Amino acid sequence: MKPADDGGWSPYVAGGLAGLLLVLSVWFTGMYFSASNAFVRTAGIMETLVGPERAASISYFTKYVPTIDWEWMFVAGIFFGAFVSAITSGSFLLKAVPDMWERRFGPSRPKRFTAAFLGGVIVMFGARLAGG
Amino acid sequence: MSMLIYGLITGILFGFLLQKGRVLRYDKQLGALRLTDLTIFKFMGTSVIVAMIGVYLLVDLGLVKLDLLPTVLGKNVLGGLLFGVGWAVLGYCPGTSAGAAGEGRWDALFGALGMVAAAVIMAELYSTMTPASTGGWGDFGKVTLPGVLGVNHWFVIALFVTLYLVIFRWVEKKGM
Repeated sequence: MKPADDGGWSPYVAGGLAGLLLVLSVWFTGMYFSASNAFVRTAGIMETLVGPERAASISYFTKYVPTIDWEWMFVAGIFFGAFVSAITSGSFLLKAVPDMWERRFGPSRPKRFTAAFLGGVIVMFGARLAGG
Repeated sequence: MSMLIYGLITGILFGFLLQKGRVLRYDKQLGALRLTDLTIFKFMGTSVIVAMIGVYLLVDLGLVKLDLLPTVLGKNVLGGLLFGVGWAVLGYCPGTSAGAAGEGRWDALFGALGMVAAAVIMAELYSTMTPASTGGWGDFGKVTLPGVLGVNHWFVIALFVTLYLVIFRWVEKKGM
């Protein structure tokens, strides 16, 4: 069993520090936090790898050039930062089906993965439409 | 090149804090949406408070500029509703899906895959869209709340901070 306290901080403190990080980022690099562009650029990079000529003809990828930028590295950094924090506090846990999901929808992995994929599609459509 | 390194370092620190705040979990994200566990609300709340005060302080000192996105009610509301549905099904948002995967919650990878797929679909649809169909209802341009209300921004900031503190107090009393 995992201990109830797995090295987490008060969400108020962690959140406040995240706010401070944003202020410093804006101050020193002029960058506000945003993540959804990175997924668009990833799509563009993958399409460019598969068919460079076709990808170049898509106007959306002229607007959002398929390249690795600050935001792409920011999202990659989130992955590594979470990994480092989880590993060093013993809270890294390979988990495919979340507890709350399992209690309601059962332990099926294909079911969870399909829902996660479709949720991802919808969430990105919403984010892009709203301007996030 | 240095911007890429700044992006990576900022992301690592942000991901570290997200993990420490325990907000990268499906159960926490759904807990917020079901109003049973407000960890996410607390994290976002103090983030917003600190960032609001810090950014406007830098703006007043002439050190930074606000980077505003236009307020287009039609797009914002419809996009927000869609985002909420997707968020509730996936249990992670675009940024936290990367963090959740880093924590070992690899169902988030399927969410990320769905997001990339959505971008591919959007790229295909984009070329067929006319400016009229992509435009939205209720376009107010790049506005801010203090600008619309015609008051000093510190008045709005003080109001929001007070509101947050009152809600925090209530939430803690309820043990949410």
